[in-house]
Amino acid sequence: MPVAGHVGSDYDRLRPEFRVIPNPFAPAERLMLVPPIRPDVALIHAIAATADGTLLLDHMEDDALLAQASRVVVASTERVVGSREALRAAGDGVLLPGIHVSAFVEAAGGARPTLVRGVYPADARHIEEYVAASADDATFKRYLDRYVHG
Amino acid sequence: MACAIAREVRDGETLAVGTLAPIPASGALLAHFTHAPRATVVILNHPDFWPFGNGSKEFYDYAQRGKFDLFFLSGGQIDRHGNLNLITVGDHARPKVRFPGGAGAAMLYYLPRRVIVFRAEHTPRSLVERVDTVASPGSTPPDVVRPGGPWKVVTPRCTFRFERAQARLVVEALHPGVTRAELQRETGFALEYDPQAGVTPEPSVGELEVLRTRVREAVARIYPRYAESAFQA
Repeated sequence: MPVAGHVGSDYDRLRPEFRVIPNPFAPAERLMLVPPIRPDVALIHAIAATADGTLLLDHMEDDALLAQASRVVVASTERVVGSREALRAAGDGVLLPGIHVSAFVEAAGGARPTLVRGVYPADARHIEEYVAASADDATFKRYLDRYVHG
Repeated sequence: MACAIAREVRDGETLAVGTLAPIPASGALLAHFTHAPRATVVILNHPDFWPFGNGSKEFYDYAQRGKFDLFFLSGGQIDRHGNLNLITVGDHARPKVRFPGGAGAAMLYYLPRRVIVFRAEHTPRSLVERVDTVASPGSTPPDVVRPGGPWKVVTPRCTFRFERAQARLVVEALHPGVTRAELQRETGFALEYDPQAGVTPEPSVGELEVLRTRVREAVARIYPRYAESAFQA
């Protein structure tokens, strides 16, 4: 994929998979190409979903793009609603048709301690606790035991 | 710094502020609430200043089309040629420091017409002779499409102007109370001065009033901790 800018930076040196080519539409210009990212699996969290896997996603994030780039898409959702109309009414977001989604599960609170816009805010105190716990293996194990395995 | 940034904003232009940038957000809003009411102000993830409806891709695509007149960037290291380093310090394979990475900074330094670089730390380690890794070059060869580029560098101590022809930073104004000798001690490269270099005007009573009321309130919606501490009398 072509990207603007970048030519003349150290990306040429640090990322050998990036290519610089003459712009075929304006040969006097050089242009950088980057290979597409093709994830095997995307894990995304939806505001709501319908039974066919259609998801309502945060309009400020790139989850729909991520899903379309990935081979397998596994979603969790705050809730499952009964119809496309109910999905549109469930919040401010973008719809990702179910054809892109391999599997999904209802998991209310599944984004905590980060936010689901319009549903719950980020839990700043918990994120600080996580950052502090991640400083060494012993404190991180205690964090996992308490919040993940517990 | 917010006032120095605000004074660079022109009424009617389209400007954008990216992530982790409360100082440019404050400057952009100060300008918008005073002399630039018709500016289109975009602030990443701000509920009132984020017009895009489909992720950051829409924002980056808009920027790649060259639609922003003014943008703001920073760098762990900034050098005298206006190069920015957001990647690594030291040998890239075994770095001494790893920064968050360039993200779109190697595009966003080319396409917006003017870029103001900001850095809250003015020291010999942040303002260097030559950055270790160039995420965003200050200048590029003529066969590279580059409608825009660096315009000013604003720190807590001074404002530099970028001279595109010589690809170098020159001091345009010292902030009040800073001497040339102090500034040289705090900078990792030999300073050059604009012949007309002067002193940044103090923030006016009116600017401070707007900063401590409307700007603080708007910034608090995305930077609550910053808003609590940064607008003290």
